[in-house]
Amino acid sequence: MNHKGDFLSLLRHADTLIDDTKVDREMSEANLTTERDLFGATPKPIRDALRLTSKGKTINGTTLEIPEATTVVAMRYQNGIIIAGDRRATAGTAVVHDRAEKVLPIDSHSVLAISGAPATAYEIARVLKHSFQYFRRSQLQELSVEGKLRTLSRLIRDNLPLAMQGIGAVIPIFALYLPQADESENGGKIYFYDALGAHFENVDFATTGSGSIWIRGVLRYLDRWGDTRLEDMDQRMATITILRLLDTASEYDAATSGYNAKAEIFPTVKTITHQGIDTLSGDFLKDCYVEAT
Amino acid sequence: MRDLPYRWIEAIQDRRDYIEDQLRLGSPVVGLPYEKGSLLLTVTKSAQKIFEVHDRIALSAIGHPADIERLRMLVTDTASVQAFQSATEDVNLHRLTHYVLAHTFKQAFEAIVGEAYIIKMLLVEIGNGDTKTQFTHINYDGNVNVHHEAAVIGGTSEIENAMQDYLTNEQSDTEIDLATAIQLALKTWAVGRELSQRFEEAEDNTDVTDEQIDEIIKSELDEGEIEVGILDNSLSGDTKFRILSQDEIQDLTNK
Repeated sequence: MNHKGDFLSLLRHADTLIDDTKVDREMSEANLTTERDLFGATPKPIRDALRLTSKGKTINGTTLEIPEATTVVAMRYQNGIIIAGDRRATAGTAVVHDRAEKVLPIDSHSVLAISGAPATAYEIARVLKHSFQYFRRSQLQELSVEGKLRTLSRLIRDNLPLAMQGIGAVIPIFALYLPQADESENGGKIYFYDALGAHFENVDFATTGSGSIWIRGVLRYLDRWGDTRLEDMDQRMATITILRLLDTASEYDAATSGYNAKAEIFPTVKTITHQGIDTLSGDFLKDCYVEAT
Repeated sequence: MRDLPYRWIEAIQDRRDYIEDQLRLGSPVVGLPYEKGSLLLTVTKSAQKIFEVHDRIALSAIGHPADIERLRMLVTDTASVQAFQSATEDVNLHRLTHYVLAHTFKQAFEAIVGEAYIIKMLLVEIGNGDTKTQFTHINYDGNVNVHHEAAVIGGTSEIENAMQDYLTNEQSDTEIDLATAIQLALKTWAVGRELSQRFEEAEDNTDVTDEQIDEIIKSELDEGEIEVGILDNSLSGDTKFRILSQDEIQDLTNK
């Protein structure tokens, strides 16, 4: 067996097809040709799928209530990247879970923040994690940044049939810290994806999910005209800022949760620095909340 | 036709002699536990010889580089697929050695019309509290030996016995730190290296003095370098494997 470090190829060889090729491609292709906006960037079914406050999706006469919706946000700060996500998962108007983890470590210096259908998103994160590990173990070197980005692109693109049916669209943020970066410079990188797998590097910040529209402008304002630019913030200030942003998103987006003081459920907040990934503790976040609110 | 079984036994013996002759000069490998995990140590002149298999499993081998690579990929692929299909916790050394590697080694060795693997492999899996650390030695014919204290691979079984005896004499009952473990592993490696060079002249003499150990380390390090892979429970994250840098090895051997 020689898969040149390609984990998906290895899995196919092992008769464990994990992509969605068996999902009705013909139907998806038909939808693409008939419902595509002639000049729009995103086909209509994908737009529908990403309209995350939607009610249950009707597929072949069956209505599925699929947990979805989110606000995740990443920004560069003094030491690297700070990345956070709320904890709510909803299905239509129902809150189905209030402790969802949407900020997932992939390797020692990479994190995937997910929005969209958790079932697909978690599987993409799992495949990604195994792919990076397999490349390192088989090829005896770390996968390059470009290689990591393309692997994720491929997974999102392979998910297109599900996204087209409106039940499995995933729009992630991928953030990493370049381990080879000099300690004096900020090696943090933030990448934003669209539903078709194209990736774009956001220099200072990125946000996605149904609540993101409420805070994107705030991020821009803070970065351009705030007293302290995002990149110049220390960890505490960056944490307070990101908690306030999530709080703002939860105020306007029913599918995004805020801080649950009674149950002490905090958003997930992680930093990625030269030293690796660190999950900020509940005590630290509680302390920051006191200052933030 | 009636003499075929005898021809088969003869062919197997010829094959055994040929493989052992090929392995005789291989640079030995030492596997040793220390307070936070386990290490594999060897001295190499070119290619990497210590590899990560999975989160808690590493391997090293002596033999033909093409065979090492082929079997390394087999065990790495199998572990990766198992971890994905089930869970990382379900990958264990026992399954990998007994149901994948041993079977493959034996089949290749006994299929006299095909090519045999010229290899001896040492794998280690560190314990996590519930499970014990395990060193597994697999011979080219598929024989598996499991150790819990330490293990070695060398060119011949006599070399391995001498290395194991040296380790038994020098190993203390208390847990040792990484620096002490590396120094002990290096001396054990030197015992094996000295004997593999000496066996061509005097096969019966397996005594190696401290002076000979120092001398062989000095001469071998003129061209080669020490390679150390550790499985360390104190490393954060799922993956406990790390190859030590040459600077780290230098610091630890000089302590």
